[in-house]
Amino acid sequence: MALQLNLLHEEISEKRQRKRDPLKLGIIALSSFGLLLFLYYGWNAYQTIQIRSQLNAAQSEWQKVEPKVTAAQKRAAELHQIIDSTKVLDSLIDQRFYWAPFLSQVAQCVAPNLQVTGLDGNVVEGDGSIAVTLEGLAAAREPRSAAEDFRQLLSEQLEKNYHEVKVTFRNLEDLDTLVSLSGVPTPSARFVLNVTLDPKPGDGVRKDEAAQGIAKTK
Amino acid sequence: MKPKKLNKDQIQKIFLSVLGFIGLIYCYFTFFLGPLDKSRNSMTASIVDVQTKTASSKTEMKKTAALEMQAKEATGRYEALKATTAPGAPIAWFPPKMRAFFGDQGIDKVTARLESSADFKQPELADWIKDNWAIELPQSGYASLGKAVAQLENTEPLLAITHLVIHAVPEEPQFQQVSLMAQTALFKK
Repeated sequence: MALQLNLLHEEISEKRQRKRDPLKLGIIALSSFGLLLFLYYGWNAYQTIQIRSQLNAAQSEWQKVEPKVTAAQKRAAELHQIIDSTKVLDSLIDQRFYWAPFLSQVAQCVAPNLQVTGLDGNVVEGDGSIAVTLEGLAAAREPRSAAEDFRQLLSEQLEKNYHEVKVTFRNLEDLDTLVSLSGVPTPSARFVLNVTLDPKPGDGVRKDEAAQGIAKTK
Repeated sequence: MKPKKLNKDQIQKIFLSVLGFIGLIYCYFTFFLGPLDKSRNSMTASIVDVQTKTASSKTEMKKTAALEMQAKEATGRYEALKATTAPGAPIAWFPPKMRAFFGDQGIDKVTARLESSADFKQPELADWIKDNWAIELPQSGYASLGKAVAQLENTEPLLAITHLVIHAVPEEPQFQQVSLMAQTALFKK
């Protein structure tokens, strides 16, 4: 039987050892894993680029909208201010006391034997009520009675248009001198009336009629 | 088959490979994937933020357009009220205006002077000023006065008579002497 000798035994053994070298195997494994990680990173980077492009699109849209919305906000604030100012101005207008209808009613109550010599009217600050002082002369056989008739008539007439009407005498005194009424000497009395009232809203609608009323009574 | 025992050199190499693996993982997450994720998350948040802002802005613009339609009447009215204030200092144009107004009503020799001037308390009227005027009508018939006052109250919405004094003129009983205190709201120009 022939003897078989492997003379390359050492060389083959070295070759096997080189193939199983842990460092080489480790490097191969690391490289493969690194490649996988790199691919995963690439996929993520691609997604990030897409998100960036979405962000750019959103930002460019916002840049287009921003000046418009700033102008719109400014305009809205301006409009709100206009609306609020108009409301307050309208309330000022509505809360005014219209004197013309009042003067008309006073004129309508003055009888031929009566003369109003003074009127002092005031809008009371705060509650907006009206305080008026009327001075005048009443001439009649019973001048005090004539003055009282005027007071009552004025009170009745004013109550038609205003709230909380109070017409009271502050002063009523007989005068010693006689006045000529239609050529007849007649006793007279001097009166001072205090009138207070709370104006009804919207009494201004009658102001034109009032002006006409004043014209007619005179 | 009996497993071959690792020699010292091989153990060192395996240890080195494990170290390399750990280093790779650390570097990958710390310097590559981490910052990328962070940037992506911040960009996503920014997109949501910008899109929300854009959407709310569009809604706001629609609301403003609707408000513009609603405020048309108020705007027109406000402009009309503003137009009641003539250009220039009120003391320069208001007295002549009153003189001309009462002159047209047949009442002459009218004088008007500024008594006081103040801002309104209401913050909505920051652009407006409250002036008090004393208007003297030395000679007026009662009927003419009534018509003139009615006309004044009709044509001057921002004028309110706060005090009215009428006295008969002793020498001429057909005439009255009249003093008015009028309050005006004028636009600051």
